[in-house]
Amino acid sequence: MILDLERFQAQARPRWRDLESLLAVLENRPDRRLNPAEAEQLQALYAQTAADLNRVTHGALSPELRQYLERLVARSYSELYYAPPMRSEIWQPRRWLRIFTAFPETFRQHARYFLLALLITLLGCTFGGLAVHYDPASVDVLLPADYLRNPGQRVHEEEQGEPKHPRSAQIEAGFSAQLIKHNIQIALLTAALGVTFGIGTAILLFENGLLLGAVAVHYTQQGFGLFMTAWLLPHGVFEIPSILIAGQAGFYLARLLLRRQQDRDVRQSMREWLVLICGLAMMLVWAGLMEAFFSQHHAPVLPYGFKVAVAAGELVLLTIYLLMIGRKATDATGSSTVGSANQ
Amino acid sequence: MTPTSLFPAATAAELTIATPEGVLFRLPLAGPASRLYAMLLDAVIVLGAVNGVGFLVYWIFSKAPGFGFMMITLAEFAIGFAYSALLEGFWNGQTVGKRLFHLRVVDQSGLPLRLEQAWVRNLMRVLDALPFAYLVGGLSVLSSPLMQRFGDRVAGTLVMRQAPLPEPSEEFWMGQKYNSFVDYPAIAIKLRKAATPELASLIQDALRRRNQLAPYARREIHREITAYLQTEISQFPDELVERLSDEQYLINASGILFNRQRHSK
Repeated sequence: MILDLERFQAQARPRWRDLESLLAVLENRPDRRLNPAEAEQLQALYAQTAADLNRVTHGALSPELRQYLERLVARSYSELYYAPPMRSEIWQPRRWLRIFTAFPETFRQHARYFLLALLITLLGCTFGGLAVHYDPASVDVLLPADYLRNPGQRVHEEEQGEPKHPRSAQIEAGFSAQLIKHNIQIALLTAALGVTFGIGTAILLFENGLLLGAVAVHYTQQGFGLFMTAWLLPHGVFEIPSILIAGQAGFYLARLLLRRQQDRDVRQSMREWLVLICGLAMMLVWAGLMEAFFSQHHAPVLPYGFKVAVAAGELVLLTIYLLMIGRKATDATGSSTVGSANQ
Repeated sequence: MTPTSLFPAATAAELTIATPEGVLFRLPLAGPASRLYAMLLDAVIVLGAVNGVGFLVYWIFSKAPGFGFMMITLAEFAIGFAYSALLEGFWNGQTVGKRLFHLRVVDQSGLPLRLEQAWVRNLMRVLDALPFAYLVGGLSVLSSPLMQRFGDRVAGTLVMRQAPLPEPSEEFWMGQKYNSFVDYPAIAIKLRKAATPELASLIQDALRRRNQLAPYARREIHREITAYLQTEISQFPDELVERLSDEQYLINASGILFNRQRHSK
C-alpha cells in the first residue's frame, strides 16, 4: 500500500515540530537533565516519530523526509539514553586529587604488563651491552650521537667547560621544557603503538634498552662508570620507569583491542589507560626538571657521590609510592566490586 | 552497558543504528577531507591561543625569559591536546572547526561521547599524526568501514556529518489544481493497485531530480518511465496521452499515487 504522503505529513508535522522544539530546549541546557514531565513527553514523541520513520522507510518514499526523521530520532535517542556526568562530579578538586592514588593502584593492578615491558627492555640492554663488549666497533652503529661515542671527550668537556660557561637557570628552564615535551611525546607514542597489537611498543622498548645497554657498557669500559651513573641516574630513575609504564599502557591497550568482545567495561579500561598516561606524564615532568637543573652539573660543583645518593633516594621514594600508596583503597574497591557483582 | 546492538552498514558512508525499540536509523559518516579542513581550522585557533598565552607569559616573565620559554613550551603542548579533548568532551563532540564544518564526534552506538573517550582519541593523535600531515590517521580512515582513525578505533568513537536539515517542504507538484487522470477513475484505480512502492518512489525521484538532469537525460528518463507505465501498468487512452508531455504524465500519475483524498472525491 502506498502511503498518502501529503495527508501523512500534514497530520504528523505538529508532533515533529513539538519534538524539535523540545530537543532544542534540552540540547541547550548545560547539564542536559530531564524533569519527569519532559521525559514523558520526549518518550511519547520519540515513539511516534520512530513509528513515522518506519512508515517512510518501508514505503521507500521521499529521501529528504526520511533523512529529516532520522535526524530527529537520532537526536531524541541520544537525549533519552545518555546520562551525562553531573557538573558537581566534574568540578570537584578532590576527585582530581585522587589521580595520585589511582595511578599506583592502576600500576599494580596491571603489573604484569609492566613486567613484560621491563623484560623487553632488559633484553635490549643485554643485547646492546654484549654487542659493545664483544665488538667495540659496533658502537658506531648502535650509538647515533657523537657525544655518546666519545665518553672521554664528553666527560672532559662537561667537567672542564663548566666554569667557562656558567649555566644559567634561564637556559636550564628552557632546556627542561623541551626535555619534558619530547619525553612525553615518546612515551605517548609508545603507549599509542599498542594498536599495533603491542608490536610497535615492543620495538620502541627494545630499541630504548639497546641504547641504554650500549652506552652503559661503553662508558664503563672507558672508565667513566661513576661519571655516567651520576650523569644519567638522577633523572633516569624517573625517566626509565616512566617509559616502562608507557610500555605497560601500550601492552594493556593491545590486550584491550584483542579482547574487546569479552571486555564488559570498556569505559573503565579506558579510564585506567588514561590514569597510567597521566601518571607517567607527571613522572616525566619531574625527570625533565632533574635532568636540566641537576644532572648536568658535574664533579667540582656537585660531587658524584652526592648525585648518586640523590638518585638512590629518588628511586626508593618512587618504589614506595608505586608499591605502597593506596593499598587499602585497592582492597576496599576490590571488595566493593565483588559486592556489586553479587547483587 | 549501552542499550544498542550495532550493525555496521554495508556502505562506507553511513552507520545504521538499531535502538532497543527496534527503530533503525542511519548516521552519515564524515570523510577524511572535511575532517582535515576542520583540523586545520582548529590548528589555527590553537596557534592563536598559544601566541596569546605567549605574549602574556613574556610580559609576566620579562625578567626571566628562560622561564617564560619553559611555560610557553609546556602550555603549547598541553593546549594542543586539551583544546580538542575538553571541547569535544563538554561541547557535545564538537570543536570550533568541527562545528563550522558540520561534524560531530559521537560514540559508536550513536550516543554522545564521554570525556574519557574524548581524551583517548585526542591523545592517540601522536600516532595518527605520523609521519606528517596525519598520513597514518588518513590511511586508517580510508581503510576503516566506519571511517575511523586509530584514535577513534581505540576510543570507540566516530565522526558524523551533521549539516543542518530544513523541514522537508511539500512536493511542488502535489498542489496541482487539475489532474486529467481523475476523469478515468477505473484506469486510475488500476494504477494505484498495480504500482509497487519502489515504482512510486522511482516516479517521485524522476520528478524531484528533473532540474539536476541534463535536458537529454531528463527527456529520456521521463520517456522511458512513461512508456513502461503506459504499456505494463495502466493504459490511459491515447487521445489523452498524446496531449500530455511525458513529464506531465508522470506528475499526473504521481498525483494519483500519492493524493488519495483529492482523487477519491
